[in-house]
Amino acid sequence: MSAETGVIHDIGYRRYTGRRLGRAQIVRALYWHSLRSAFGLGRGAKAKIVPVIVFVIMCLPAIASAVAVANGNARLVPYDTYVFQLRVVLMIIFVAAQAPELVSRDLRSHVLPLYFCRPLRRMDYPLAKLAAFITACLAIIEIPLVLLYLGTVAQAHGPHAIWAQTRAFIPGLLVGLMWAVLLAAIGLALASLSGRRAYATGAIAIYFFLTWILAGILIAVTQRNVVRSATINPPPGGRPPGVPATGPIKVHMITQVPTTASHLSGLVSPFTTLDGVRLWLGGTSKGPLPGVGGYGALYGVMFLVLLAASVGGLFARYRKAGAL
Amino acid sequence: MSAPLTAPAGAPAAEPDSGAPVIQTSALSKRYPGPVAALDALTVTVAPGITGLVGANGAGKSTLIKILLGLLEPTGGEARVFGRDCQRDGEQIRGLTGYMPEHDCLPPDVTATEFVTHLGRMSGLPPTAAKERAAESLRHVGLYEERYRQIGTYSTGMKQRVKLAQALVGDPRLLLLDEPTVGLDPAGRNSMLELIARIGAEFGISIVVASHLLGEIERICDHLVAIEAGRLLRADTITSMTQVSQVLLVDVDEGSDELLAELGRRGLEPRRHERSLLVGLESDATYDIVRDAIADLALPLNRLEQRRRRVEELFQDDDDVADELATAGAGGSGSGGSGSGGGPSGTPEAPHVR
Repeated sequence: MSAETGVIHDIGYRRYTGRRLGRAQIVRALYWHSLRSAFGLGRGAKAKIVPVIVFVIMCLPAIASAVAVANGNARLVPYDTYVFQLRVVLMIIFVAAQAPELVSRDLRSHVLPLYFCRPLRRMDYPLAKLAAFITACLAIIEIPLVLLYLGTVAQAHGPHAIWAQTRAFIPGLLVGLMWAVLLAAIGLALASLSGRRAYATGAIAIYFFLTWILAGILIAVTQRNVVRSATINPPPGGRPPGVPATGPIKVHMITQVPTTASHLSGLVSPFTTLDGVRLWLGGTSKGPLPGVGGYGALYGVMFLVLLAASVGGLFARYRKAGAL
Repeated sequence: MSAPLTAPAGAPAAEPDSGAPVIQTSALSKRYPGPVAALDALTVTVAPGITGLVGANGAGKSTLIKILLGLLEPTGGEARVFGRDCQRDGEQIRGLTGYMPEHDCLPPDVTATEFVTHLGRMSGLPPTAAKERAAESLRHVGLYEERYRQIGTYSTGMKQRVKLAQALVGDPRLLLLDEPTVGLDPAGRNSMLELIARIGAEFGISIVVASHLLGEIERICDHLVAIEAGRLLRADTITSMTQVSQVLLVDVDEGSDELLAELGRRGLEPRRHERSLLVGLESDATYDIVRDAIADLALPLNRLEQRRRRVEELFQDDDDVADELATAGAGGSGSGGSGSGGGPSGTPEAPHVR
């Protein structure tokens, strides 16, 4: 110890006389720090695997579409749904893997008192984390959409065609924003329940996958099969020469008709809820829902309820968890 | 044996309101639902320098720290740090204060440099300044090349140093250290205490050290504040408090009455304490007098040691403390503890002498 003492003694202590940042800037610093950690930046190579793979795969349809458009074909993927199933799976993986990275680590190692003994206020912490994770999800969802748009308009001829693409593109961005906000909020709220990363990841993945599968099953079993029969009579003008005479032909068609129950089934899962809101707001592309019937507003309410519950849960968690 | 490190090398640098006491509470109370009050009308003033906040576990030390940081609302009274109201100006106070928690609070998978730099940012330092001050703080606490290693690979002593470094990184005017020596071996305790003493003396930072080990922190403190069950037991300068431990405990298997008389004849003022005798420790010569008396009487000496009391023990029987103070006060030494130091292992202990 005495050797160290001598060295420390010689260096002496210097006061810090430079600029000090206010609370808002500290929150911003925490936001950037959290955003970086959502992509594994500043950590080892292993931490970057999931974000990078998810991002690359999410971009593939946009790239494929750009190639197709360059070869004279139409755009492959709609802006408002993108490739729905792919997006669901990739977002579940991203949120389940990265949301615990933002909140569970600090809980696990009891770092929170070190934040709360600093100028930050208690609610600044979840606020910065939420904003950072929404941004991260936005990047994963919207950048492929931007690529899709750019790949399409690069081949568009004339301002009219570009405008048509832009008009379809903007609602797609808004749908992406809804996705990012809701999935980030649910992901962080679930992750903040446990300091164990594995548990947090499991909870998120199970919740998202189970509700998604359940919604799919409910939608399938609640649709009604309707058998329609039609009789095709021979043309009245008599038969052409050489064709043998026939009587009327009976045709049976089985179609699935959405019922009230199947219109409501989508409320079970956040993903189908998001799609219900999209349809309610005038989305035209085909999604997983057979339609929302007259219940579009209910999907809007469900979206808000899920969002409020997650954000409220997250903030309530830090009202308690911050205890020194 | 280390010399007591209590002399401040210079006044703390001028702060806009350096005239105000570091900490001032008046009738501060905190009641949780239930019958127990964590703090009960606590009125205390803490001057610049190193102050020991002693009390048994559950005495209200942590509650007081939380209130001082503006993280907990008192149910009565008020608390001020550097003249600022803890409830209203908690944010400013936290900007001026570094806090070292008692419990483990370090992530295992980042390096000390990264961790302290990040917390420097959280203290309001711009990016470059945070890096510089993190390196400096870690050097001040004695972490050099190790600081580029992941914290998970550190020993308990090194982890405690990282905890101290993160409290220092924002250049605080006040450090609140909660049980800084917890979990350390005697050598680790000593170096941590020396480090704290140096920060207080040379860095000009006021320090409050909360501990349940009076014997340990009395070595480095200028002042002591003792609380029990949320109430102030005593607040005093260290010189008057250390006299508590300036007491020799003499334990003979037989003939304690004879020894009592003999020691009185030799100019000491022994008092009876259960089966032992207590003698005010004036100087090292006291040991010699006691030894000679026992040797001359040919008594079987069982134990001869300087009383080092845990603070729980100190609070159990106030009468006893008063007795001891009366005994020790007669000596009037108060010179800063010639026999102190050396930590728990430094307790002079005589072997069985015949």
